[in-house]
Amino acid sequence: MKWTCVIVEDLQVAADYLVKCCEKSALLQVKGHFTNVEEALDYLNKNSVDILFLDVEMPGATGFDLLDQLAYYPKVILTTSKSEYAYNAFEYNVTDFLKKPFTYQRFQEALNKLTAAPAGENNISSTATDHIFIKCDGKLVRLNNDDILFIESMGDYVKFVTADSKKYITHNTIKNLEEKVNRQTFIKVHRSYIININKIDDIRENDLFIKGNEIPVSKAHKPDVLKRLNII
Amino acid sequence: MSAANFSKKFIFNENIDADYLYSLYEDDYQYIEEIFQTTLAHFNEDLNSIKTAYQTNNISDLKKAIHKIKPTFGFVGLPFVQNICNDFEDICQKATSSNDLTSEYQQIVVTLAESKELIASEYNKLKEFNSNIL
Repeated sequence: MKWTCVIVEDLQVAADYLVKCCEKSALLQVKGHFTNVEEALDYLNKNSVDILFLDVEMPGATGFDLLDQLAYYPKVILTTSKSEYAYNAFEYNVTDFLKKPFTYQRFQEALNKLTAAPAGENNISSTATDHIFIKCDGKLVRLNNDDILFIESMGDYVKFVTADSKKYITHNTIKNLEEKVNRQTFIKVHRSYIININKIDDIRENDLFIKGNEIPVSKAHKPDVLKRLNII
Repeated sequence: MSAANFSKKFIFNENIDADYLYSLYEDDYQYIEEIFQTTLAHFNEDLNSIKTAYQTNNISDLKKAIHKIKPTFGFVGLPFVQNICNDFEDICQKATSSNDLTSEYQQIVVTLAESKELIASEYNKLKEFNSNIL
């Protein structure tokens, strides 16, 4: 299976060259090319991708602004012509930093780093999938993201509540799950709760409601939650 | 890029770093032609952004515009022009007004115009070369 990727690059010749490199690798499927952060964000917050090839300086917002606003964390390869951004690249935990123009060999080295990178908050297999497996009652149970309403902390255990009112209890923590679940679908709203952002029925003051379940929203997390809602 | 391996070798202008181009695209002359064509298609727009920013004394936009066009020259085998742009970008970083960089601006505009002529000339030669091979 190919990795999906998006290119955010305002220089056409650089974007075309990146597409060519992706095609040549046969490992990547380019889902789109955007010349500014706003359009890219609009796409990325509606579509999950594995890898982001990201220029830094573009008209308007920068590539780092995009990373600040992204609801989930794909693997990121920065493409820029300014080596001064290397420090920021390190700060943002990007996988690699390609200085334009780069050779195909250097591009391949960046891809190798993607496969070699340890599992982390932007791990491809855990964050970009549409389901998870949890250990429950001595077996691995598949839960589709779309079926999960919310996840509640129970000390050293967590409870997954699904749309069919079933409850799955497994040994884990909210803190650990926060890094493992698909961040496009799930968001932490309280130290004891991760919820499916698509399942919210309504929000009142410091609580939200999902299928009759009242879930607290902490002051710290409320701005992030509101930012993710399609408020018109 | 796709290892075309033509037996006939294209002779680039002496101001173009052919080794650098081959390191990027091998001897895929069809693709090199595409790169030159794309570069030319966007060149005037990017050059105009530089001129407008300078004329309106917008140093921030001038820096952004030169930053954008900079890697273009690497893609067409002119890494020394890329370096000139990089130096100019650094000067813009320190400048507070267009007046601070008048002479550097005049020089770089000439360099960019000459580079465009060279890219256009090489593009025409490449087009002819590739059509003869096909």
